[in-house]
Amino acid sequence: MRIVFIGLLLVLLSACGGKPAKDVLEEVDSVQTEGPSISKEVIAGILQAIPSPLEISMLLKESGKKYNAGYLNSADNRSKYNSNYKKALNLGIYGTDLGYTNIYEQNQDGVKYMEAIKDMADGLNIGQFFDIETVGRLATNSKNLDSLLLITTQNFNSINNYLQTQNRANLSVLLLTGGWLEALHITCEVSNSNPGNKELQETIGEQKVILENIMLLLSFYKESDQNMASLLKDMEELKKAFDKVIITYTYKESTFEIVDGVMVIKDNSSSTIQISPEDINNIKTIADNIRIKIIS
Amino acid sequence: MKKLIFIVLSVFVFSTLEVIGQCNSEAFSTQCIPKLATGFNFLKSYKIEKVAKEFVEYSYVFTKGTQYMINICAGDAATDGIVVSLYDSNRNKVASSKINGQFIQAIAYPCNTTGIYYIQYTFDGSTGYCGGSALGFKR
Repeated sequence: MRIVFIGLLLVLLSACGGKPAKDVLEEVDSVQTEGPSISKEVIAGILQAIPSPLEISMLLKESGKKYNAGYLNSADNRSKYNSNYKKALNLGIYGTDLGYTNIYEQNQDGVKYMEAIKDMADGLNIGQFFDIETVGRLATNSKNLDSLLLITTQNFNSINNYLQTQNRANLSVLLLTGGWLEALHITCEVSNSNPGNKELQETIGEQKVILENIMLLLSFYKESDQNMASLLKDMEELKKAFDKVIITYTYKESTFEIVDGVMVIKDNSSSTIQISPEDINNIKTIADNIRIKIIS
Repeated sequence: MKKLIFIVLSVFVFSTLEVIGQCNSEAFSTQCIPKLATGFNFLKSYKIEKVAKEFVEYSYVFTKGTQYMINICAGDAATDGIVVSLYDSNRNKVASSKINGQFIQAIAYPCNTTGIYYIQYTFDGSTGYCGGSALGFKR
């Protein structure tokens, strides 16, 4: 019945010369509120666990890698994103790009990403959580970097919390997926230009853990959201490439000492990550293909 | 008239008591953010409030080579008997903020293994069963 309804809607809207059928289909699916059968608490718990892309940007900066705007999704592309599905994914992508520009103190580029983020957020009716004036003011002075990172992180946390309380956690999943994919893309690009860098290769391999969580989140919506089902299929291809990465973990009890009132843990456990240059190439190619679909 | 005054006063007193008894874990978690040690970048804030379970639990994917800090805020009472424990993906205990009867307000964890970690808050002699916490990272 739902398919018949969507079919009729597509015919009507196409006949009226409105949006392209593909965009209409994306919009129909992403605005629907019929939730997954899994509880809100479980979804919120997994969403909370997805790490901030800022961690990767910090790694790249601190390992001495130069800023490269060419790795990022152009802020000018924002006019292309008409469906909620695309807006949410690209809000995540632009969020990662903003974090990257902030950490490298590239204020001019940062301002463009702030505007793109505001556009995406307004389009999703969550613009009230992005304080562009404060962020813009902080971005003008590199001494404000800590405050800038704090405020942007708080803004994105508020957006995610709000979406979940409004039964729009599907958009939160897309936002985090976009953000993660962009961080993976940037890391793969940097690794590609530094083929001998083992730390970067390991960072790519470690993304296997996060991909598993993202796929789990997407799987909750595969019955109710065609776009998310399709994205999950793409992620399954990426998972096949990550399946070749082997992570070995050896647990050893940790020790600690108290330093200035803080308990500093010494982690005695260890892990190794086996990832070949071929695995990295496969991951990069598949991740790039998924990203191109999203940013086009 | 006396009856009316009594009812109005009773409603006022009870509603005031209710407000006092309410847990503002959101405010505690916000207070915790600036208390992260210098150099740590804020990631998440967590509300700690005893509801149905004996503990409150969150999870986060920690990354090898990154140092994390988790702190606890519970107003004037420092930790108010709130203990944070960290477990790895196999549920092995990595750290606990209560040691030799002493409640530590913050733990720093330099991570050696990327994976999901469970951040669990329990109550040990707590009076308010209410607090907040912040997670930060540095490379």
